[in-house]
Amino acid sequence: MTTHTVHVGRVTRDLPIVPVAPGVSVALFNMLGDTDVTEEAGRELAKLLPPEIDVLVTPEVKALSLAHVISRESGKPYVVIRKTQKPYMVNPIAREVVSITTGKPQLLVLDGFDVPKIRGHKVAIVDDVVSSGGTLHSLRQIIEEVGGEVAAVLAVFTEGDERPEVTALGHLPLYT
Amino acid sequence: MSAPAATLSVRIGEVERTLPTIRTGNLGRVPLVEFIGDPEFTNAAAQAMLALIPEGTEILLTVVTNALPLTHELSDRSGLPYVCARKKRRTYMRGPMIQDVPSLSLGVAETLWLDGPHAARLAGKRVAIVQDVIVSGGTAQALAKFVVQAGGTVSGYLAAFSRGESAVRVSALHALPVSV
Repeated sequence: MTTHTVHVGRVTRDLPIVPVAPGVSVALFNMLGDTDVTEEAGRELAKLLPPEIDVLVTPEVKALSLAHVISRESGKPYVVIRKTQKPYMVNPIAREVVSITTGKPQLLVLDGFDVPKIRGHKVAIVDDVVSSGGTLHSLRQIIEEVGGEVAAVLAVFTEGDERPEVTALGHLPLYT
Repeated sequence: MSAPAATLSVRIGEVERTLPTIRTGNLGRVPLVEFIGDPEFTNAAAQAMLALIPEGTEILLTVVTNALPLTHELSDRSGLPYVCARKKRRTYMRGPMIQDVPSLSLGVAETLWLDGPHAARLAGKRVAIVQDVIVSGGTAQALAKFVVQAGGTVSGYLAAFSRGESAVRVSALHALPVSV
């Protein structure tokens, strides 16, 4: 199997190159179940977090532990945008997005309970990989709709196109 | 009968939280535990749960989503690696294992997916199942089937909270009431 070697802080990983759609493969970076990479990336990204940021916003699932570590290290709270609507949510706000790793439209849902944590605040979006930017675009829409200001985007990797607006620890090629 | 304010206070180490309750169909109000977005509560629970990890455990197994930051902290503090099962199939999964969970609380069956390379990490290992809350034990049993299917053995079941009678023997920090 072909792999792509990456460095995250002091740790090195050989990422498998896997097809995700006809004619498209990615170097699969999955932090779920990788405690060392999550800790290393979280600590490095916490150092890069602009001091004026009030709150972190992350989409579930793969970046969840990353947001937890950045929050723990920086002392800034974090809010998770879910991919399904939960029965206990209060006035949830939902957006649809097409993700490259799922290939299908998926829902992003913000619990109304979390809105006051975002409204009037400077927000940093936290994700594992920013690729096509579809998720990022939808997250930005939801955050702005509830009165938050996206002041930074933090990711472990950008993928495909270079994205100067994203603070990342590295870049992954897209195999087409 | 008029119900009093339906909340419940819990304390883990130095951290105290008031749990909201949500109404469910057949049980009245049940307490809701939220570790997501709460690093302080997560860290306190992970620290206290270190003592619950069965001796000889080599790796942890959990499932998305609520237990994820908790399991990450438990992994980092114990030095034990962890593996995480998903609730949806992903296009990048290679030879995933599948288990159905008959869920009593929601009345809807759930399907758990464990990516093949992740399952391979459980082979020949003593595996502790980690959850935030264990209620009926249905999810815990499905995770245990993954362990056996992958060629590992279950060293035990741990959770921050238990609620009611579980089908598995759970080590938990606190027992929550079935309803409030």
